[in-house]
Amino acid sequence: MITLNFPNPMGEEGWGLWVALYFFLAGTGGGAYLISVLYCSQERVRRAALWAFVGVVLGSVLLILDLGQPLRFANLILGGVYPSSVMWLGTWFLLLSGAGLLWVMARPTSRGVQYLVAFLVALVVAYTAVLLTATARPFWNASPLLPWLFLASSATAGGALLQLLAPHERLKRLVVGMALVEGLMVALHLLWTYPVAQGAVLALLVGPLAWAFWGFVVLGWGIPLALERRHVGLAAVLTLVGAFLLRYFVVLAGQV
Amino acid sequence: MPNPNDFAILFDASRCIGCKACQVACKQWNDLEAEHTRNAGGYANPPKLTASTWLAMRYYEGLRPDGEPYFDFVRGACMHCTHAPCVASCPTGAMAHREGGVVTVDQSTCIGCRSCVRACPYDAVHFDEERGVVQKCTMCYDRIANGDQPACVKACPTDALTFGRYQELQALAQERVRVLQARGYPRASVYGLKELGGTHVLYVLTDHPSQYGLPAAVREAEKRAMGGWLSAGIAAAVMGMGLKFIVDRREAFKGGRG
Ligand code: SF4
Ligand code: SF4
Repeated sequence: MITLNFPNPMGEEGWGLWVALYFFLAGTGGGAYLISVLYCSQERVRRAALWAFVGVVLGSVLLILDLGQPLRFANLILGGVYPSSVMWLGTWFLLLSGAGLLWVMARPTSRGVQYLVAFLVALVVAYTAVLLTATARPFWNASPLLPWLFLASSATAGGALLQLLAPHERLKRLVVGMALVEGLMVALHLLWTYPVAQGAVLALLVGPLAWAFWGFVVLGWGIPLALERRHVGLAAVLTLVGAFLLRYFVVLAGQV
Repeated sequence: MPNPNDFAILFDASRCIGCKACQVACKQWNDLEAEHTRNAGGYANPPKLTASTWLAMRYYEGLRPDGEPYFDFVRGACMHCTHAPCVASCPTGAMAHREGGVVTVDQSTCIGCRSCVRACPYDAVHFDEERGVVQKCTMCYDRIANGDQPACVKACPTDALTFGRYQELQALAQERVRVLQARGYPRASVYGLKELGGTHVLYVLTDHPSQYGLPAAVREAEKRAMGGWLSAGIAAAVMGMGLKFIVDRREAFKGGRG
């Protein structure tokens, strides 16, 4: 019996820091690849694929470490076919997208292949939200907006990552646009879930998770938006911090 | 709907005296450790189910709108759902229905991902930190598979708990509700007939389920997931196209092509 007791702010039973970090890594790397496929040149696509690959692999490692029985992780793949389990689907999305990203990185590929891999990567990003939506926790399941929020945040963070590496005018507009959508989604989600998940929403606004929530709003969202014109690099770094804080407070608030 | 011949437990709140004999019997038979808890001012203890408390009575007291005091007890434990969210969410098949409709976790294949913990609307499955796997009520599968009753049912001194075949217990529950309604409990009902494809543990209640802290609107995990995928698909399409449009349009404006 091997259990790895990483500090987990929710206690061992909860999904905590490691899951949030994984959501962030997969979301950011994945977002960078998706954006580059949609809007960037061949060269950049391959570079972004590398980042997405790193995110997917690191994220998967964190996921495995978070298990109560990490050494049994192969059961996820060899244990049978369970399409009703979002966790099972996600495992396959991770595996397939990882392989696909390797392929894109390894050699020049056609647009078609890149789009196919982009579809897999989009599934990885989306499943992290659907995983939460499919639970019995009101803060996660009461509104249909978590997938919107996670996709928008992935695009923002992925765009910021690309900005950090090679700033570009088009990227800037994209990051700003997606950040606005993201902000709107956070607000709508909180309003939507407040009636059924008061405890969670209050924990975010004024409770134990307020630091993460307001940290996101101010540091990870507001300031980068204001700085976007002058300090692209700083804005990008703060956006990345914000993307992590967002995942963190969403994951924890669902378990308040 | 559960199979008519499935195993089932009937909990009759109108007969329960809140003595916790079931709770203690569960601990004893399943060899579950006691827990350190604090007095929180109520009778429920432990306050919630855990990996070593698979069954715990909950207590609700207060005044009704008409000034009548009430003091209600209700069983808190796995409902052995037919469309069980824990089973649907398990990525390894460790959580599964056994012969007779009982839901148990196979501790040798569970990887401890805790998907089932998040999925259960009754908060009935929990993570065992020491073993790295989850634990929950097994309906005393080791007993019932050998022709005995579950420990909780055996221990109940007031016949508030009955064990049997689903069909019989369902009829019994409905009969009991008829009697209660005739006796002046107009809100008496059976809980668990419709929830999650029908649960193998049925409750006879004298009041609305929410009065007992039971979730009124439970949904199958599959439906929630489908909703999530649909939402994600729409989100990806709308945002992808929206972005493309904005970025391209702006580019075009700049180029003076309008
Ligand atoms: S009550 Fe919870 S643990 Fe029991 S079968 Fe239903 S979902 Fe699973
Ligand atoms: S914790 Fe175990 S039983 Fe629960 S979903 Fe994960 S693998 Fe299945």
